Amino acid sequence: MIEQRLDCLGEACPVPLIKAKKKLSNMKSGEVLIIKVDHSCAMNNIPEWANKEGYHVNIKEVDLGLWEIYLIKTK
Amino acid sequence: MSIKDNVYYKTFLKEPWPYAVGAVLLGLLNISMLISTGDAWGVTSHFATWAAWIYQSIGGQPEAWLYFQEKGNAAELANGFLKDMQSLSDIGVIFGALLATLLASQFRVKKIKSWKQVAGAIIGGLLMGYGARLSFGCNIGTLFSGVASMSLHGWVYWVFIFIGAWIGGKILLRYLI
Amino acid sequence: MDEPKHLFHYTFWKVKIMTEIKTSINIKTNKKRDNQIFIGIALLVAIIGIGFFIGNHQPKSALLWGLGTAAGFILQRSRFCFAASLRDPLLTGGVSLTKAVVIAIATASVGFAAFQYLAAVKGSVIPGNIDPVGIHTVVGAVLFGIGMVIAGGCASGTLMRVGEGSLMQMITLVFFIIGSLWGAKNFGWWSINFMPKQGVFLPDVFGWPLAIAIHFTLLLAIFILADWFGSKKNNEEG
Repeated sequence: MIEQRLDCLGEACPVPLIKAKKKLSNMKSGEVLIIKVDHSCAMNNIPEWANKEGYHVNIKEVDLGLWEIYLIKTK
Repeated sequence: MSIKDNVYYKTFLKEPWPYAVGAVLLGLLNISMLISTGDAWGVTSHFATWAAWIYQSIGGQPEAWLYFQEKGNAAELANGFLKDMQSLSDIGVIFGALLATLLASQFRVKKIKSWKQVAGAIIGGLLMGYGARLSFGCNIGTLFSGVASMSLHGWVYWVFIFIGAWIGGKILLRYLI
Repeated sequence: MDEPKHLFHYTFWKVKIMTEIKTSINIKTNKKRDNQIFIGIALLVAIIGIGFFIGNHQPKSALLWGLGTAAGFILQRSRFCFAASLRDPLLTGGVSLTKAVVIAIATASVGFAAFQYLAAVKGSVIPGNIDPVGIHTVVGAVLFGIGMVIAGGCASGTLMRVGEGSLMQMITLVFFIIGSLWGAKNFGWWSINFMPKQGVFLPDVFGWPLAIAIHFTLLLAIFILADWFGSKKNNEEG
């Protein structure tokens, strides 16, 4: 499984979502994107968008106020 | 079992609440504010008062400006911090958010990543401060409270802030990402 | 403990159109520091203590301190963001906050209208934020709209994120306050040249029944429009 990483620490909305979108559009189906965020709104709006797109999402809280969002590109 | 695994802890203090829950609670909160204090919720006018207090302390005379001669603003300026109850609600917002973040164990100092962010913060802050004075408030005072008060200025604000946000989005994509 | 790859502890988001729930939060922190709950409880005690202290001098100030704290708590817990409600539809296609803001305004409107109607019957000044409308409203709104997008949050959002520990939003707050002083200084010029003396209160123009009907119809229309726009965007992309 190919994993791509995106570091969005310190970025405020809507920057993480825009970056994630851009990155995902260059990825192939089946690849995984791991987005690191520390913005509490991003761990809400990225999954929301990804759900609408039909991607699989898993959020992992790796530290206090620090999340890794796993997105599996399904199509 | 530690508290972190408790299902109620997760529902109320850890997981984000659905937006609709926040919306209804904020609506009720604004009603409580209007009824208990006589004023609807507002945020930015207190920023102007804070700035004026600081300006006065370094020798400025903002009380001569037309803005601070309007009745409410003049009183707020003259009252000083402890008597100016409205601005306590602003400080309360900071502490309420801090409390929520700590109870969820999610507090973290978020560092500044780039100079572009700093530029955005400075220019954005100045534009918001200036703009809010012209439109008699911000998204809270004019959009939320103004529209809820059935005032025309709230509705006009809603239309044009949408356009402003669209322009802002273009600038963000072009220069700040 | 070795954790299984797809151990989903609890579901997080209910997506109305999806048949399967695809989002899950996996809270397994791999670090030593345990939690901040006890600092949070200490802060809660301090907030209540400060409330009583203020209340001894100024009971109403204590009330606002409490209401403000509640507002910050609700904003943070529900990730509420007025800036996103205005920015996201065109920038990212997200409309859920737009709809949430309509709900918030509609909820507040019910209480506001009742309170205002009582005041009108008694013949006293109508409460609420009713301010002059004109070119200044347009300019102010556009400037504010640009500012909140490039700064990453509006006034309430900035305060909330200062509480969350964002250094960038602290800079925003400082310049927000400076900008307010600048705006207050120029307010006189705008006031003399553009501002009418009084605001326009819709029930004064249309009468109470029609004004309330127009008000809630518009809110409903915005809600439906946002919903339609959101699903249209989604279909285009998907």
